[in-house]
Amino acid sequence: MLKTLRISFALRNTYRVNGILYSLKQIPLLKKILPQTLYRVRGLKIFANVLSVIFEVLSVFLGKLLYFITMVCGIGMLYDKVPSNQIYLHILLFLTFIGAWINTGLFNPTKDKYYAMILMRMSAREYTVVNYVYLILKVIIGFLPFSVLFGLGNGIPLWFCILFPFCAAGIKMAAAAYSLRDYEKRGIVYNENKLNKYLWVMTALILAAAYGLPAIGIVLPAAVSITVFLAFIPAGCAGLRKILKFQNYREINRQLLYQLNNQMDSAKQAVKKTTQEAISADASITSKRRGFEYLNELFIKRHQKILWKAAKKITFVCAAIIFISLLALYLAPQAKDKVNRLILNWLPYFTFIMYAINRGTGFTRALFMNCDHSLLTYSFYKQPGLILKLFRIRLREIIKINIMPAFVIGGGLSLILYASGGTDNPLNYIVLFVSIICMSVFFSIHYLTVYYLLQPYNAASEMKSGTYQIIMSVTYFICYIMMQVKIPLLIFGICCIAFCVIYSIAACILIYRLAPKTFRLRT
Amino acid sequence: MKFIIEHLTKNFEKKEVLKDINFTFEEGKIYGLLGRNGAGKTTLFNCLNKDIKSDGGAFYIEENGVRRDVKAEDIGYVLSTPTVPEFLTGREFLKFFMDINRSSVKDPKPLDYYFDYMSIDPDDRDKLLKDYSHGMKNKMQMLINIIAKPNILLLDEPLTSLDVVVAEEMKQLLRSLKQERITIFSTHIMDLALDLCDEIVLLSHGELESVEKSNLDNQEFKAKIIAALREEDNA
Repeated sequence: MLKTLRISFALRNTYRVNGILYSLKQIPLLKKILPQTLYRVRGLKIFANVLSVIFEVLSVFLGKLLYFITMVCGIGMLYDKVPSNQIYLHILLFLTFIGAWINTGLFNPTKDKYYAMILMRMSAREYTVVNYVYLILKVIIGFLPFSVLFGLGNGIPLWFCILFPFCAAGIKMAAAAYSLRDYEKRGIVYNENKLNKYLWVMTALILAAAYGLPAIGIVLPAAVSITVFLAFIPAGCAGLRKILKFQNYREINRQLLYQLNNQMDSAKQAVKKTTQEAISADASITSKRRGFEYLNELFIKRHQKILWKAAKKITFVCAAIIFISLLALYLAPQAKDKVNRLILNWLPYFTFIMYAINRGTGFTRALFMNCDHSLLTYSFYKQPGLILKLFRIRLREIIKINIMPAFVIGGGLSLILYASGGTDNPLNYIVLFVSIICMSVFFSIHYLTVYYLLQPYNAASEMKSGTYQIIMSVTYFICYIMMQVKIPLLIFGICCIAFCVIYSIAACILIYRLAPKTFRLRT
Repeated sequence: MKFIIEHLTKNFEKKEVLKDINFTFEEGKIYGLLGRNGAGKTTLFNCLNKDIKSDGGAFYIEENGVRRDVKAEDIGYVLSTPTVPEFLTGREFLKFFMDINRSSVKDPKPLDYYFDYMSIDPDDRDKLLKDYSHGMKNKMQMLINIIAKPNILLLDEPLTSLDVVVAEEMKQLLRSLKQERITIFSTHIMDLALDLCDEIVLLSHGELESVEKSNLDNQEFKAKIIAALREEDNA
């Protein structure tokens, strides 16, 4: 038994350590320093092992802490009309109940189980039981400090605070035993990541009971909650007997992990498939142009669904929102002042909105998956002059697509500004409109430039560039930060326009200099 | 015309994949490139196609005694897994290619002529390429690569995954194409190499070497090739 535990630990640890080393190797700059042989460098291994142990310890406590802070106490504090000990126990009871089948551990297909039981052919029964007991111990030990801390804080007697972790473990074991029995009866393996619709409904109902009932003033009396909780302990003991006696772990895990393996294969295919499904099969689509314009027109027409149609929908929604806002200003003139001030100070917020609605990601992904990944293997497609020619055509297209909603938003905002009382400086209208258009153009250029300069995919359509992912995250992060920034319209607008113009010029220079060399399949 | 590689090297970090490639390929021959798994065949092709930068050395074309750089349009590269732009139909892909290469395709023919040439069924010519079968995609890829009549045709394991009929068609095609160009064909299947190729070239220890058939029969020749590839283990 101990040997099994040790081996499964070692296995999981190796898997995690190599995962850490692999992700280190993906970071730009760092990957140049790290040798190819990093998986056998002792120092690095020790470092990753330390991280791995920290991760294991954190996984015992951190999740439980967050769970108590947010799900139980955080939300519990919203209900100030009911006694805190009652609401605490009420929410905890229902959530613990849900956890019994949402988070069994036993029926969670994970890769380490696949490696151990299927690839390494470890005894399924021993592996499962040993790891399950370890998991239950983690539940008890992880819950104990926070149960005492938050329980005492909410006026729960100490004896129950100490018993709670055992109750939580108890219901988990009871639920697991129920599923094992169910397998013996019906032959169906429960998979906690693939709930059927009845379980979804039940989960939703119990969640509603946990958070909804207190809102209308109904809370279980503390004594009732505690009694139910205590009943979980004998139920758990009975469950544990079943779990220890159960013989068919190999069959169960085979079925569970078979699905997992299929998922691993299909996840890669899924992105490719969805991108290919975006291609319109409409046979009437043709083009009268020639050469690259021909290629481009067919591409745009056959990708209507993710390009023009999506942009039109966004434009329509924006127009509707603007119309409603104008109507609201007309009906409730008292809001004018506030709206006027909002528009004059909240322009940075629109960076995020423009970021969110631009079609750059979808466009570049479709470009790669459905067009470039194949054409880049042909040498005629890689002639420097032609790469730049196609870049110009594509840039024109994506700008056209993105600018349609930008026109509506920019124009609409100016209208709202006017309707909400206007401004002394007419320049505000122009700057407002132009800066929104500039943002739209900026995002169009940004996505296409980064795509051409970093071309992050290899021939198998796998993302190979850490730099690309970092730039995308940084873009998101900056836009997100912009939401929090309040700067007067005129200042931000002018800075924004200047930035977009400079960036666009710089980007185009870089493209002309570098793209013929960088626009290649990764190897 | 000759295709000459001199002292070509390529390392991945510290691993020398191509150590010192020296070879002269001659017009009108099909070269069978054999090497063990991981010997660097695809790396060599990628270097020649300038998909990856080599670390040292050079390669060029020699015509009538005059050396010149290899241009992109000199090379046709057919990959083992056929890649075609999924959103175009076969006919559109071909038209696009012809548009782009109007200047370099000598004596262009009507599109259907090429489809007939590749035995691509008339019903399939106006279907989206994403709905093509593996064999048909492969034919499309081959067609695009040969229309422009590149001086050098690189083929990376091209016939392995085709059904027997298509594979036979492709073999005939390659034989008919070998005049006026250099064909380099990488494969793991020895019989295919012996059947199709005029010369066998081994890639081992990061170097290229020709295997002389002289007066050996096929069985002896095979044994010689295997022995040469095995040496790698003892080196």
